[in-house]
Amino acid sequence: MAWSVTVDRDRCIGSGMCIVYAPGTFAHDAEAKAVVLDPSTDDLAAVRTAVEGCPTGALQLTEEGE
Amino acid sequence: MTDLKALDRDRIRTLFDLRTGSNAWSGGDFIDDPHPIWRRLRERAPVHEGTLHRLTGYPGEALFHGLPYPESPHFTVFSLEACEGIYRDPELFASSPNAGDPRHSGVESSMLMMGGAEHRRYRGLVQPSFVPSKVRWWMTNWIEETVQLLIDGFVDDGRAELNVDLCAAIPVLTITGSFGVPVEQALDIREALRDPQQVEALIAPIVAARREAPEDDLISVLVEAEYVDDDGVTHRLTDAEIHTFAYLLLAAGSGTTWKQMGITLATLLNRPELLARIRDDRDLVRAAIEESTRWEPTDPMFSRWVTRDVDLHGVHVPKGSVVHIAIGAANRDPARWDDPDDFDVDRPLKPSLAFGSGPHVCLGMHVARAEMTTALNALLDRLPNLRLDPDAEPPQVIGLYERGAMDIPVMWG
Repeated sequence: MAWSVTVDRDRCIGSGMCIVYAPGTFAHDAEAKAVVLDPSTDDLAAVRTAVEGCPTGALQLTEEGE
Repeated sequence: MTDLKALDRDRIRTLFDLRTGSNAWSGGDFIDDPHPIWRRLRERAPVHEGTLHRLTGYPGEALFHGLPYPESPHFTVFSLEACEGIYRDPELFASSPNAGDPRHSGVESSMLMMGGAEHRRYRGLVQPSFVPSKVRWWMTNWIEETVQLLIDGFVDDGRAELNVDLCAAIPVLTITGSFGVPVEQALDIREALRDPQQVEALIAPIVAARREAPEDDLISVLVEAEYVDDDGVTHRLTDAEIHTFAYLLLAAGSGTTWKQMGITLATLLNRPELLARIRDDRDLVRAAIEESTRWEPTDPMFSRWVTRDVDLHGVHVPKGSVVHIAIGAANRDPARWDDPDDFDVDRPLKPSLAFGSGPHVCLGMHVARAEMTTALNALLDRLPNLRLDPDAEPPQVIGLYERGAMDIPVMWG
């Protein structure tokens, strides 16, 4: 299934929670804001957990197709 | 840091006893298992009127975040969904009754109590030192050496009491080490935490020295930090601001990880077969620590202040109320976890509220995890056949608003 994640940089506080759950998908830039790695090496379940676990709701997951 | 003989075991024992001194104010004499009570409350309704300790049946008064504020109505929220909803709406559920009022001192004026843009600005100054990619910096500079030296201190004895000899000492030495405080003064700082001015007196010479010559440590990060205010003007932190930061980091960094580490070790030592599995499969260390923080979070409640009248899951909550977020109850909500009362390191990893949520989510969570990971791995590496001392009482987790283990008597070999 194709999916993509976007980061709301105003909401992101750099907690690093996403990196705990999906270290193959997320990293921090120099300002400690989340960035999405491409390609991701995590399975979709881990990405969902990371998105769900973001403390400020800064991550948006879009899943396409079946 | 090379010599930990400067650490006085008896003094650690006194400073890190949940039943005594300031530790007792948070319900340290509560020895029952609160979880069956919290489960019943959560099953009855997501939101209840009253403080968590009163709803739990604790007869005394207790002090913690959001307490006592006797003039304010109190409500406690038990379900995961309701707790997350509060964390995610910081405008309706504020972090203080008087966000960041500079007339208050210590924690009262720290970023713990700030809101909105002000909180983002201040937190942004220290966040880069606490991100996952900085964990290696923490481990190499302070955590690994601290853990190995502490184990050196008892490895030849064949027995130890891990709550004092290890759990209490690691976090306080890590955070004070990161400040450049010598070991001899680490316990002075812990003892002085009840008086911010005393902490300031201990930190001030280090702040002055780092202003002259920065080093690779946390005070230097604070000294060199710059922020841009609403008018676009760049500032450095004043000494007063640095002292407030330092106080919060010391208070938060020297207590919580101690207790969570004790809970983790006590839980695993009480399950010898599981501990043996973890010894042979170190990938499980992470799962064990995540499960410990979900299953028994050391601080099972934090509070928010309601900024306007709101209907909260069918309960009218007036403006000015204090809402207790019952993290310990939400972390066992079957909406997210199957058999939530079981301690199960094999369950799928899902986000819990162990470190809070929202913009104030625990700054030190990755450092805390690194401290616990390093300690557990080092114990398993260096103490063969680590087990509870069969001649002593097995460890027990106590406390209401600050939960932690009593003595953890172990032997090995």
